Amino acid sequence: MMNLIKNRDFILFSIIIFGVILVGIANPYFVKPSSLSDVLTDTSILIILALSQMIVILIRAIDLSVASNLALSGMLISLLSTVYPELPVVFFIILSCLIGTFLGVLNGVSIAILKVPFIVTTLGTLSIYRGLIYFVSDGKQVYSHEFSESFLALIHYKFLSLSFLFWVAVFVFVVMYILLNHTRFGRNLYSLGGNPDAAKYIGINENKYVILAYSISGFFAGLCGYLWVARYSVASTQIAIGFELTVISACVVGGISVMGGVGTVVGCTLGALLIGLIRNALPAVDISQFWQLAISGAIILIAIIINTKTEQRKDKTIMVE
Amino acid sequence: MVVCLFMKLELKKISKFFPGIKALQSVDFSLKQNSIHALLGENGAGKSTLVKILCGVYQPDEGSIHLDGQKEVIQDPTASLNLGISAIHQESVMFDELSVMENIFIGNHITKSNRLVDWTSMEKKTIELLGNLEADIKPEEKIKDLSIAQRHIVQISRSLVHDADIVIMDEPTASLSQKEIDELYVIIRNLKKQNKSIIFISHKLDEVLEICDEFTVLRDGELIKTDLISNTNKDQLVTYMAGREISQIFPKKHVKIEDEIFSVKNLYKKTQFKNINFNLRKKEILGFYGLVGSGRTEVMKTIFGINKFDEGEVNFKNKNLNITKPKDAIKNGIVYLSEERQNLGMTGLMSVKDNINMAIMDKNSQYLILDKLKDLQNASELQEKLNIKVSYWSQLAQSLSGGNQQKTVIAKWLSTKPEVLILDEPTKGIDVRSKSAVHEFMGELVDSGMSIIMISSELPEILGMCDRVVVMYKGLIKNILEVSNTSSEEIVKLASGE
Repeated sequence: MMNLIKNRDFILFSIIIFGVILVGIANPYFVKPSSLSDVLTDTSILIILALSQMIVILIRAIDLSVASNLALSGMLISLLSTVYPELPVVFFIILSCLIGTFLGVLNGVSIAILKVPFIVTTLGTLSIYRGLIYFVSDGKQVYSHEFSESFLALIHYKFLSLSFLFWVAVFVFVVMYILLNHTRFGRNLYSLGGNPDAAKYIGINENKYVILAYSISGFFAGLCGYLWVARYSVASTQIAIGFELTVISACVVGGISVMGGVGTVVGCTLGALLIGLIRNALPAVDISQFWQLAISGAIILIAIIINTKTEQRKDKTIMVE
Repeated sequence: MVVCLFMKLELKKISKFFPGIKALQSVDFSLKQNSIHALLGENGAGKSTLVKILCGVYQPDEGSIHLDGQKEVIQDPTASLNLGISAIHQESVMFDELSVMENIFIGNHITKSNRLVDWTSMEKKTIELLGNLEADIKPEEKIKDLSIAQRHIVQISRSLVHDADIVIMDEPTASLSQKEIDELYVIIRNLKKQNKSIIFISHKLDEVLEICDEFTVLRDGELIKTDLISNTNKDQLVTYMAGREISQIFPKKHVKIEDEIFSVKNLYKKTQFKNINFNLRKKEILGFYGLVGSGRTEVMKTIFGINKFDEGEVNFKNKNLNITKPKDAIKNGIVYLSEERQNLGMTGLMSVKDNINMAIMDKNSQYLILDKLKDLQNASELQEKLNIKVSYWSQLAQSLSGGNQQKTVIAKWLSTKPEVLILDEPTKGIDVRSKSAVHEFMGELVDSGMSIIMISSELPEILGMCDRVVVMYKGLIKNILEVSNTSSEEIVKLASGE
């Protein structure tokens, strides 16, 4: 069985490599190291959010509010930075994470304690958090010149000619890998998603895990709030609108089962990379805007079909011929 | 002999009430150290409530629990585990997608000093545990790839990891073959030697008499009898459980068997079965015996059109049938009752009436509109005939007891007026009374002209009910025997490939 999972990840990896080569033939500029590193930078936020969404999907839930959470946290620290430009950037990053975590905890409490179904809760907070942005910003934008220099400088920092964003994604990947494969918390998430009733019998407190999973999702949404605002040097009511769907499709393409309990950190990351690649490659090969959506949709579907095909259970062998 | 001052576990005057039901009423239960204690009772007698109280899933409304003479409150499953109580449940409490080793250690992972999970030690310990149980299972295999017997062994290993003193086994042999059951008995007896106390729940009285030391019988939430096994016998246990004597456990009616009505020739499906040849005569009950996983269910599912076969033919009334989907089979009067009645036989959230009518909705409707009157007529007719205990028509099927659920599924298929009825383990996990009701009814059905194929893993049932028995082993038919002309030894030998 390990082979199978490796296989699935391997298939995804091959598709990505094959895709890069194909686009490279059509447009050699695309495969230049500098543009590939741009693709990675562009996909970093998606990777981080997909990995945190994965934790929620693993326990048979979904967090639709991530993009709104990201936008609200981003807007709040942006507004604050215009008032207190002298504060260090680390302060804003931590604050953004805290705001995000708080919003995530609200989701978790609503689901675990108030027993509002996750889809209703996060659909509700998707609108509420987005609506709050209008409320706190009066519908106005924060433009690049309003941010302090230090607020934006960090994001342009490079190491080994790869961007700060990319290294954050790498760091998150490593943390998530350890969390999900080498901690009791992570393994219990898998068991809770795989068989919630059985998890109860071995003493796993479902409510605690639901709240924690949504807090983690919220934490990373908050982190990405800073990253997004700093990267695009703008905070508005419209940022990352609809991005939750991209995040969820990255998870699904990456083989995270929406039935819970199945999925790997590597698979999820590859899923995000594939989606990132599609979003960047289609404009590079001059495919018209009209086709781009349809093609990315088709590629997502194909990836999912491949996933389910490799996942399908074969009949047990009864008779040896 | 070690003299024990206290019972290992003592329940005193335990009561549990649910709205409208007294699940347990002031029940006393004592469990000795290194003893195998049978907990008996029909479905709905209160056994599972008792188990759930011990596991910390339910809280008793009255009474107290004493462990080694010490009063304890088991407020949740974790507390139960910490007190050394471990349960091997009837329903799957395994994690299909996770490995064997992880299933054994789940909730109890070994960690290194840096608090990360220590996979190497867990693997080592797993190999050691499985080795002690003489089980041929690899630590990294996924649970979904294991047989039911192997899953039980993993569950037993789990309770060993927890170092449980009290192991509760809820019908551990329900879907095991005789060989696997014997292996399980060895393991259970070993547990007893290690000073463990075992609560053994089973509907099979023969095995209770064979393996247990003591017994407690519950009926309708009340304690009926608790004694040593050596002081009782099978008939007495049946009487305790049912509250009346069931004189004939297998009330087979004698009917005159007529000509061949149905036959299967050279059926073959890759990796599943080969050379499947048998026929079925009108008014006959044909048994299918074999180990779980010998291909019995697969053959029947194929005949019913759920799976496709690669070669061969199915003949019904001298006509070649081309069955590609269950609807074809139903139209021709062949129906299949699945072994998994909860999953594949009924829709728990629908009413009993709707479940009964599920397969004949097109017959009961005109211009796409359901005729509710016809529905009700059909349902009440069958309910009466099968004696299904329902309080009201809109009662949800899931709220019925196991026996009544099985009757509902049978009623559903009888609505289609079948001529060939394929029953897959029709009495698995249902209580003695419902069991004999199902058997009695099977007799009536063949008397009325129906033919029945019955898959069963219970040899007494096969010998008691069937006219002939087909014995399968690893996808092949080993032999077809006249039941009146064979012995249980011969059948068991064939089924284990000898």
